[in-house]
Amino acid sequence: MSDLRFLDIAIFLPLAGALLIAFLPRSNANLARWAALIVTLATFAVSIGVLVDFEASLGGFQLGSEAVWIKDWGISYITGVDGISLWMVMLTTFLMPLGVLASWSIGERPKAYFALLLALETGMLGVFSSLDLFLFYLFWEVTLVPMYFLIGMWGYGRRIYAAMKFFLFTLVGSLLMLVAIMFMYFATEPNSFSLTDMLATELSSGTQRWLFLGFFASFAVKVPLVPFHTWLPDAHTEAPTAGSVMLAGVLLKMGAYGLLRFAIPLFPDAARYFVPLIIALATIGIVYGAVVAIVQKDLKRLIAYSSVAHLGFVVLGMFVGTVQGMSGGILQMVSHGLSTGALFMLVGMLYERRHTRQIADFGGLGKTIPIFSGIFLFVVLSSIGLPGLNGFVGEFLVLLGTFLNYRWWVVPAAFGVVLAAIYLLWAYQRVFQGPVTDEANARIADVNSREVAMLAPLLVLIVAIGVYPKPFLDRINPAACRVVIQLDPDADCSRIEGVVAPRAHEEDE
Amino acid sequence: MELTGLVQQSVDWHAIAPELVLAVSAFIVLVADLFLPKEGKWIAMPLAAAGIVATLAAVVSLAGDDRGTFEVAGSATFVVNDFALLFKGLFCVIGLFVLAISFHHFRSGRYYQGEYYFLMLTSLLGGLAMASARDLISIFIAIELISIPAIVMSAMRKGDARSNEAGLKFFLFSVLSSALMLYGMSLIYGLTGSTVLTDIASSIGSIEASSEPVVVLAVFFLLVGFAFKISAVPFHFWAPDTYEGAPSPVAAFLSTASKVGGFVGLLILMFEAFPSVADTWRPLFAILAVATMTVGNLVALRQTQIIRLLAYSGIAQSGYVLVCFALIESGPGAAEANRQALTSAIVYLAIYAVMDAGAFAAAVSFARKGGSYFISDYSGLWRRSPVLATLMAGFLVSLAGTPPMAGAWAKLFVFLATVQAEVYWLAVVMGVNAVIAAWYYLAVVKAMFFDQPDSTEAVEVPYLLRAAMGLAAAALVAVFVYPPLITDLADKAPL
Amino acid sequence: MPIAYFLVLSSLLFCIGVYGVLARQNAVLILLSIELMLNAVNINLLAFSAHLAEAGVPGQIFALFVIAVAAAEVGVGLAIVILIFRNRQNVDVDEMSLMKW
Repeated sequence: MSDLRFLDIAIFLPLAGALLIAFLPRSNANLARWAALIVTLATFAVSIGVLVDFEASLGGFQLGSEAVWIKDWGISYITGVDGISLWMVMLTTFLMPLGVLASWSIGERPKAYFALLLALETGMLGVFSSLDLFLFYLFWEVTLVPMYFLIGMWGYGRRIYAAMKFFLFTLVGSLLMLVAIMFMYFATEPNSFSLTDMLATELSSGTQRWLFLGFFASFAVKVPLVPFHTWLPDAHTEAPTAGSVMLAGVLLKMGAYGLLRFAIPLFPDAARYFVPLIIALATIGIVYGAVVAIVQKDLKRLIAYSSVAHLGFVVLGMFVGTVQGMSGGILQMVSHGLSTGALFMLVGMLYERRHTRQIADFGGLGKTIPIFSGIFLFVVLSSIGLPGLNGFVGEFLVLLGTFLNYRWWVVPAAFGVVLAAIYLLWAYQRVFQGPVTDEANARIADVNSREVAMLAPLLVLIVAIGVYPKPFLDRINPAACRVVIQLDPDADCSRIEGVVAPRAHEEDE
Repeated sequence: MELTGLVQQSVDWHAIAPELVLAVSAFIVLVADLFLPKEGKWIAMPLAAAGIVATLAAVVSLAGDDRGTFEVAGSATFVVNDFALLFKGLFCVIGLFVLAISFHHFRSGRYYQGEYYFLMLTSLLGGLAMASARDLISIFIAIELISIPAIVMSAMRKGDARSNEAGLKFFLFSVLSSALMLYGMSLIYGLTGSTVLTDIASSIGSIEASSEPVVVLAVFFLLVGFAFKISAVPFHFWAPDTYEGAPSPVAAFLSTASKVGGFVGLLILMFEAFPSVADTWRPLFAILAVATMTVGNLVALRQTQIIRLLAYSGIAQSGYVLVCFALIESGPGAAEANRQALTSAIVYLAIYAVMDAGAFAAAVSFARKGGSYFISDYSGLWRRSPVLATLMAGFLVSLAGTPPMAGAWAKLFVFLATVQAEVYWLAVVMGVNAVIAAWYYLAVVKAMFFDQPDSTEAVEVPYLLRAAMGLAAAALVAVFVYPPLITDLADKAPL
Repeated sequence: MPIAYFLVLSSLLFCIGVYGVLARQNAVLILLSIELMLNAVNINLLAFSAHLAEAGVPGQIFALFVIAVAAAEVGVGLAIVILIFRNRQNVDVDEMSLMKW
């Protein structure tokens, strides 16, 4: 373990940057942009330090720190990462500079915009690294505020409605979680908010179920699982590009992350009890999201619904009780962050050029902006799950893991993959192929160097994960295993890659 | 009759140094005002500020001490300990803050500046005395010393009928509440034969069962008297009207210093004198707390004027503090639980005073030039004055009890203490109220940041107000990041 | 004389005072009613002080303070009443409704 606390630096560096930006002179907007870019890049560099120091062989959490915050009430500052949160942290710090680049043309009050974006990063990193439930709750709420402002002040169209809806849905969910956290706090002896202490607390399975539902309310809204998803299309559609990227890329993952970091380990009995329900909801989400995406007329809304479907895969993988499913789900979180982040950026670029996102307004763009459409196709294919690209690995592992334990649920889930190909390729076809029908579409410019700079890293990673996912899975698997055995004590953790022999007894056929 | 306890005794001058310094400063301000030329009257403000700073120095010089003076029958009626010093310090800070709010307001408004600052210092003196008072007579004197100058301050705009009305309403309620409180005190005196709190505490636990209804009656009268001072429902009617009609800096003073003064008196009485009979009066506080929170918040929802909104929000905030009183337990082993309730109350009051004063300062800044007191005019303030809008939002967010401001801890500590004491229904009521309250605070924030402004004219905020608000906001953030700043002080401040 | 006599007297005075505060519209009469209540308190204090062996003199001192503070209060109160009379030519509290209650 390195002496330098890279993780804690990474968490608070963006906040310091946000304060710095707040005090920059208002006259020079460029200063704020560059400051934000430099701070986010620096944060990414620091998080590379976390990645390098991380030892996959060590169990449990590492690289964090621990300090008493409020002694009287057992509130501590405890951070740390394992193989799951490590990638979430990396994903956040990686997407952030790209988000800043995507917001380069924000003209209105750039200072406040970038300060909020940086504050958001601190919140997200804190959520992924907190090992004290109070701290976690705090960061969880902290992410809410910048996002609310980003959507409400820099969004499009019905931004205030979207911001309020986002805020209220999330707030109601998180209040229920707060109640559950409080209950856990008083059930823990001595009263403590520390995750380790809470894990040691025995609860009756009836209590567990109620508390699980409290946590689930918050996380299911965030993921989002059908039927708690209705805030998402609005928030995504009206948010500024970087807001959408962060929302899809990171914020949604907070829900899934919360499920496997807190809800499952704290209440394993309840988690097992609710498995059928959650698998059903996840599968419904996969199919529902895909079907609704097909009929969308707005590109951003289409991608938003595709997120509902993809996150359905993530949750499905997490709850089927196999290592393959769990690891696949976690990798799918990263993949979805990259692919969907890239898609939102691309749509943002289209919007900047044409000031519309309606699919019907486009057509034949492949002829006028060939490079752009090439990149778009590439990302679409990754999102569909083309073998060799990132989306495939996660989805395949999820389907494999599902097959092992819940054979028949694979059918609707796989059907979702087919539907994804339909809605994405069909949208691609309508936007980029065919004749150029609108005069405005003939005059738009292809990607510029800034846009290439922000897309290139994404494309590289999309290929890298698709071709060689081993470094990712090596770190994910041990951590995933620890969660899976909570759901299924018999889960085979010895061999992780490749096909696992069918288990002796199948619980649900 | 024997003259017990009235023998000549030496006075511990150092112990009463803060009060002495403040009293002398008040007279210096008053006399200086006589000789100042009309255009130089504003000098009274720096003089008053210097007086408060000197007082603060005297408070600091006593830090860590535990002493008493003015003994009656062997018990000190005036004590200096961490509790007293913490609140003396808080009163000084509030005093300085209100001075900062007042300066431009009173200088521009053709007021009687010198008299105003004199009255304010006098009222503050009452607060300081209250923190040390440990017998019924001194508590009575202290509370009147807080109230009477405040009444004059709220009627300060002599020609304005609204200000007159504010003063009269405040006066009538204040005097009525004093009378009720005194009647309760006289009954306590009759029951226990003493006015010193420690003596009352030791003898009230052992009174005959037949006298118990009288104890309840006496505490009820005391409580009603204080309920007026701290504007608890249903004795709150004067507060919104007085706040609205009085000059706004005076409203800030009433809502912070005067209210905290009332609470300090109530804390001293309830935690020092009556814990042994807590079973008889605890339900009173529970009912009062619930009514105060709920009514305050519900009425605040439909306010259109920022001062009235803050008035009702302040009423609701009183309710949360009152919850702490409903947690007091009697009997052996209650000491630890009571200490927790007391700490929560102290932390709440300290944080409340700063955030509420900050919100008033922001409201006064906005109303000064280019703005008004109507909430509808706050629309789009962020586009006109980003700094003012951010500060105002910070104070409101703190009042709502949301991170990243200290208000979050204030609410949380009371909430945790309530659950710890296993008064779950009260915790639930608190939670529901916090959500209702968040609604109206955040509605103002939403209007400031999301809505379009009617005018683009920037709101000019004087440097003094900026500095005051900036410091208050910084303090709230600092306490949020590192709550031991205040909890450590409160923890080691038993009565 | 038994102490009960004094207590009954004082509680009667107090109740009359409360009634006056609630029923009167004239600010000066309300003020007078409050004075009645304060005097009820003083009677209480003095009766206790004189009758209870352990009570001693604090009650009498308390009463002196009450009288002094009441005088200060009345001073302020009458000043405000005069102010209002100057501005509106009457001191009826029912008409004090510039601001909604």
